[in-house]
Amino acid sequence: MHELGRIHQLIIPFMGREIIFNIEAMLMTWIVITGLLFFGFFATRKASRLPGSVQILGEIFVKMIYDLTKDALGERSKTYAPLICALFMFLLTCNWIGLFPHLHEPTKDLNTPLSLGIMGFFIAHYAGIRAKGIGAYLKEYCEPIFLMAPLNVIGELAKVVSISFRLFGNIMGGSIIILVVSYLTYSIMLPPFLNFFFVIFIGAIQAFVFTMLTLVYISVQVN
Amino acid sequence: MGVGAIGAAIGEGYTAAEANLAISRNTKSAGDIFKSMLIGQAIAESASIFALVIAMILLFTKFSATSYVTVCAIFAAGLSMGFGAIGSGIGAGFPAGAACTGMSRQPALSGKLTTNMLIGSAVCQTPSIFALVVSFILIFTDFSGYPVSPGCAAVLGAGLAIGLGAIGSGIGGGVVAESSCNGIARQPLTITPVTNVMLLGQAIAQTPAILGLLISFILIYKGFPATDSIAPSMALLGAGICMGVGAIGPGIGEGIASSGGVKAIARNQEVVGVITRSMLVGMAVAESTAIYSMVIALVMIFVA
Repeated sequence: MHELGRIHQLIIPFMGREIIFNIEAMLMTWIVITGLLFFGFFATRKASRLPGSVQILGEIFVKMIYDLTKDALGERSKTYAPLICALFMFLLTCNWIGLFPHLHEPTKDLNTPLSLGIMGFFIAHYAGIRAKGIGAYLKEYCEPIFLMAPLNVIGELAKVVSISFRLFGNIMGGSIIILVVSYLTYSIMLPPFLNFFFVIFIGAIQAFVFTMLTLVYISVQVN
Repeated sequence: MGVGAIGAAIGEGYTAAEANLAISRNTKSAGDIFKSMLIGQAIAESASIFALVIAMILLFTKFSATSYVTVCAIFAAGLSMGFGAIGSGIGAGFPAGAACTGMSRQPALSGKLTTNMLIGSAVCQTPSIFALVVSFILIFTDFSGYPVSPGCAAVLGAGLAIGLGAIGSGIGGGVVAESSCNGIARQPLTITPVTNVMLLGQAIAQTPAILGLLISFILIYKGFPATDSIAPSMALLGAGICMGVGAIGPGIGEGIASSGGVKAIARNQEVVGVITRSMLVGMAVAESTAIYSMVIALVMIFVA
């Protein structure tokens, strides 16, 4: 029970300030990245017309995401599809890593979803400026009248907050529920079902939702 | 717990009524409909099970009530989970009911309808999961160092902000999932775009609840200086109420907006892109009232 809300931190004093590293989240992120690199390596190593099992998995996956981006972005999809694909793979692995003992989801730490959300925000707005030009981009904030501009800016910032807190809240909530219920029932019977629902099911849905929202924010800015 | 059970009861009642109607319409597939009704009700119930867990913890843990703030925090945990469970309970009932009706119309589709219903009602639970997270934080954080005067009001405000804020989003998410189940039952070929847009709509309909979560976190973790005057306490409590009540309307409204989008796509899937974009613009406008109440709540927290 006392594990609840504990964060492993490495604090280094630097030029009169303190630099804080959340070691656990960083370590888990690196494990996820390594796993994905291995997956990518094995999926493309012996690329042939008769695909092996890993290659076919990768192909189905990439095809699915590319179709989705094509629906949303049209002919611009070639530019953004690799980004969306990488984002979904990363988030899915991040959310599922909690199934293994002693590994924790990096998305349980608010820093991971928040930085991904901020990244999506900047990419969407950069894409918007590049597609429409800076004048038309700025003009959108002054609709319906220019007095609404501050509220429109806050509305854009609220998107970053909502996208990252949604992922964080779901994953964090799931892991807390699993922890507390396992504690209350002495880990009899329930934990496997809870793990299936909260980690596999909710984890996959939330990874998909985060990716789709990033894609839709880009498409709203571009079109 | 009591308040939380209301929502689940309404949701389950709705599902059962729809299931009965559906069985009377198509008696052959009664088995499928019955199964789907049970699954749907189980998910609608999970919100009230969250409330039950919180109530059990509150009943069976021995609290060494060291300060008024701790007492207030425990009370706020109960409020947060109780109110938070209403919306998700009602919301998760809608897709289950729609799935039952759909199965009576198109018995061959029961597998796909069940999958869609499961996804929809699982996403409906998100607001109540947020409320659960805040309740756990309120129960297990050590508040003994907090000053009594604004501290009590801050934790109460935190509980109310997410508890009330989760009602609208829960119901809104349910409305979206309902029309997606209806749409699939009518036009099975559209299952992929309808499910995608449903997820998108539900996710955005959750934004008011997420803003409530943000205000709760700020109220819990900011740390306020001790004062003797009563005005700062009232401002913090007011911030929580403002955010919570202000989030109910936008949550439901966004749900209605995106349920319209989902229905339109189920009828005419050629125009997914256009409908999605106009749906998003409509939802962004509906959301602006939630953003206004967040701005007011932030002003009350940081200025007052």
